[in-house]
Amino acid sequence: MSAEAPRPRVAALALAVGLVLADSSIVVLALPEIYRELDTSVAGVTWVLISFNLVMALAAVPAALVARRVGPGRAAAVGLAIFAGAGLACGVADQLSTLILARCVQALGGAAAVTAALELLPATVGSERRAAAVWATAGATGAALGPAVGGVLTELVSWQSIFLIQVPIALIAAVPILAVAKHEAATGVMQTELRRTGRPHLWANIALAMVSAAIAAALFLLVLLLIEGWRLTPIGAAIVVTAMPLAALLGSRLDPLVPSAKARAAAGAILISGGLGGLAYLPKAEVALTLPPQLLIGIGLALVLSALTETALGGRSPQAIHGGWTISARHAGVVIGLLALTPIFTADIADQRSDAINAGTAVILDSKVNPLLKIDLAQRIESQLEGEKGKVPTIGPAFEPLPSDPDERAAVEGLRDELQEQLNRGATHAFSPSFLLAAIIGLLALIPIGLARRMDL
Amino acid sequence: MNAGLRAQVLVGGAIIAAVALVGIYLAAGGSSYTPEKSQDPCQHRAWSDPEGLSEIANQFSISALDGAACQLGVTREALARALASPEARERFSERYGIDDEKLARAVRAGLLRAIEDAEDAGALSPLIAGPLRGTVEKIPLDQAIELINNAESLLGGAESILGPASDLLEQSLP
Repeated sequence: MSAEAPRPRVAALALAVGLVLADSSIVVLALPEIYRELDTSVAGVTWVLISFNLVMALAAVPAALVARRVGPGRAAAVGLAIFAGAGLACGVADQLSTLILARCVQALGGAAAVTAALELLPATVGSERRAAAVWATAGATGAALGPAVGGVLTELVSWQSIFLIQVPIALIAAVPILAVAKHEAATGVMQTELRRTGRPHLWANIALAMVSAAIAAALFLLVLLLIEGWRLTPIGAAIVVTAMPLAALLGSRLDPLVPSAKARAAAGAILISGGLGGLAYLPKAEVALTLPPQLLIGIGLALVLSALTETALGGRSPQAIHGGWTISARHAGVVIGLLALTPIFTADIADQRSDAINAGTAVILDSKVNPLLKIDLAQRIESQLEGEKGKVPTIGPAFEPLPSDPDERAAVEGLRDELQEQLNRGATHAFSPSFLLAAIIGLLALIPIGLARRMDL
Repeated sequence: MNAGLRAQVLVGGAIIAAVALVGIYLAAGGSSYTPEKSQDPCQHRAWSDPEGLSEIANQFSISALDGAACQLGVTREALARALASPEARERFSERYGIDDEKLARAVRAGLLRAIEDAEDAGALSPLIAGPLRGTVEKIPLDQAIELINNAESLLGGAESILGPASDLLEQSLP
């Protein structure tokens, strides 16, 4: 392999890995916008996320095998080109089915690029251990920054811009890799370097899948709660969920202090479950109350992901194949988490919406305001609900314009606040069972972590 | 601190942090932060001390809604929203499979229960309750709904319904 210009190549490979792995979470904050614009259901829009992660899970190991056969340079370059092309298709999609199909193709290209990058990195940075560290850091950074970047782009530009902006970035990342691809085409060097593939670390990968399911649930459900339940803007939600990657940075500082991968993995799984438990029992609909759970989840994910990835890759060769297994396990976990939890919280949202609206109506009926005003309010609330079928409604407009009489105005404002409080209660409570289930999945990851005999290297 | 001890501290710290967070949130009311449940409309709602015609009319409407909702097997709140406009009534009928005839019977039953509750609460004299019952048993659906929505017109401006009995009604109200 050509050793020319390793720095731009390391940067390009890290950029490629970060970009692709950011994509599994970058659309999270755009989902409510896509949900409204493409006029679909919560369950339907979840597939924008699930499809990408499912194809990544299925394609990661085969893509790594292909990369070793055709040459990682060529696999990475072609993978990035496919990723860019599919990103363009996502950006212009005007139907959910087109978007989901393009996401599947995007994941195929992404799987090729990410696994090939892990094959290219050891020769570029000088050692497999260093390569694994660069690869894991780039992936974690991408995944951590993804939601915030997606939220900002959604609000400032549009959800389509999330995909369109990836096109030039993927092409820029592909340029330094093309030199390697040309070199491979000329020498066919990788054909002679094929080695036997060792077995993947079963328990570490199972544990990775389980904690990934819990983390995906934490991120996805929290974003939906903030935007759909509590009516935050995408940028507002992006700022709030940035607490998680910031806490992850803090958590990563604990890594060198505790050499035991098993202890870090166990502590991480416990912290993630504790954080999810906190989100399941939020005592009020207040953004500040999501911060302590996010702190625990962020620190937990940094500890557990690094410990388990280290274990799954440690001492195993070839790295691309074992990296492929970890990618596969993580994305399979995300898919399982979303598939298991989506029907639960979708049903809970509908139930809680109905309970909240009834509770709010009861407040109006039992209030002392003029009966004719009550009827008028009931009428306006009913038409507001009709306009936002199946969603947690924005109730403010139903109370506009406020009465001019000061006493009546104060009474109506009180009723509006009480109705909003009931809706907040309903929206918050609707997510509780899903957060709780995700917490249990996170705790269950302690079983494979405990069963893994060779975790401490 | 050796590596083994650091590992134990990390795991122990994680357990303490996780349990403390969930415990604090539960203690702060995390398990009961839910919307208030609708009251069973078949249970009688006690009338608070009514003061004036407007307050009696308010409680009368609520009793009538409770009675009708009980008969239909829906919540009082869902019925109240349904009776707010003809479009809402149509959506309600489709959703619950309730036709106008069934709704009319339920609304009349609700009005009868409201008259009984008003009588029990001492807000309506038996002398007036009798003719009122006779009236609501016969009125068409739209008028019955109007009476629930605007009970004041029944209790206060009852001249058109009760004729000469309206004076007695005025006298019977506190």
